[in-house]
Amino acid sequence: MKVRVKAFARFREILGSDLLVDLPDGATMAAVLAALRDRAGDNGDAIFDETGALRAHVILMRNGRRVKRDDPDPLADGDEIAIFPPVAGG
Amino acid sequence: MLTERERERYSRQILLFGEEGQERLKQAKVFIAGAGGLGCPIALYLAVAGVGEIRLVDRDVVDRTNLNRQVLHWEKDLGIPKVRSAEEKLREVNPDVRIEALEATINEANVHDLAAGADLIVDAMDNFPTRYLLNREAIRSGVPLIHGAIRGFDGQVTTIVPGRTACLECIFPEAPPAEVFPVVGTTPGFIGLIQANEAIKYITGSGDLLAGRLLLWDGLAAKLETFAVERRSGCPACSREVCQ
Repeated sequence: MKVRVKAFARFREILGSDLLVDLPDGATMAAVLAALRDRAGDNGDAIFDETGALRAHVILMRNGRRVKRDDPDPLADGDEIAIFPPVAGG
Repeated sequence: MLTERERERYSRQILLFGEEGQERLKQAKVFIAGAGGLGCPIALYLAVAGVGEIRLVDRDVVDRTNLNRQVLHWEKDLGIPKVRSAEEKLREVNPDVRIEALEATINEANVHDLAAGADLIVDAMDNFPTRYLLNREAIRSGVPLIHGAIRGFDGQVTTIVPGRTACLECIFPEAPPAEVFPVVGTTPGFIGLIQANEAIKYITGSGDLLAGRLLLWDGLAAKLETFAVERRSGCPACSREVCQ
């Protein structure tokens, strides 16, 4: 199945703004994050920490709703995932 | 009651929301936390819209590095407190509104007094720890908080209505790391005006607020998206209220 990942703000420069990720049926958010970690490679410091975990302030949305990074629900073909860091300036 | 001068000054927007809406703006008291990149356009547009009382709070003095975006502060204002510089321009642009300019660092001890009597709190801060204080005060006093933040060409806005929508800590439980953020002036201009627009809608009872919705602005792609945001059970800021 394919899920669409949209990245915002700084993450767009690292991941691209809109990408399709191929995943096995039954895959969860963890599989999406693993794919994004591979894609980001050495440029992923703003997104993942040194252990490979998603940084604490990063926000994930699935089909327009906030989800947890360890969400156990299987994803569905065509799901849209958004990933972004909150911005803090004023 | 509106004066003749006010009826004339606001005639184009009275066409939109009537004298009743304008009267509501005149009676409104808005606390704007920050007189920087966001606070300048927010204060300017709320002043010209006729918000009766604007309380503007900031701790900084005007620095040359502010001038690419903080449009109420000019070359001649370098070194003076931002609230004084902003107050001078706001009084000149609309003598019919009251400006209360306070030079202060917003902290846990004074946030309640700074927000006292306000119908609305507008977040024009540049850091999350102070935003969390504003969020807690909004929940404590039941006053809506219009959140905005920017970096580079990117920005976000949401309107928090205590007891009804996700609060700031529901949406952003972890503060992003502090940094000297890059920014071009159009980004806080754009985001600040969305915040001012939310304030005018809230006060006049017009349209649909960004309540329970987070708006993201991507200035490089020129795209806006909104996402639904829900209250988070166990949120340390507002969950006690959720259980009631």
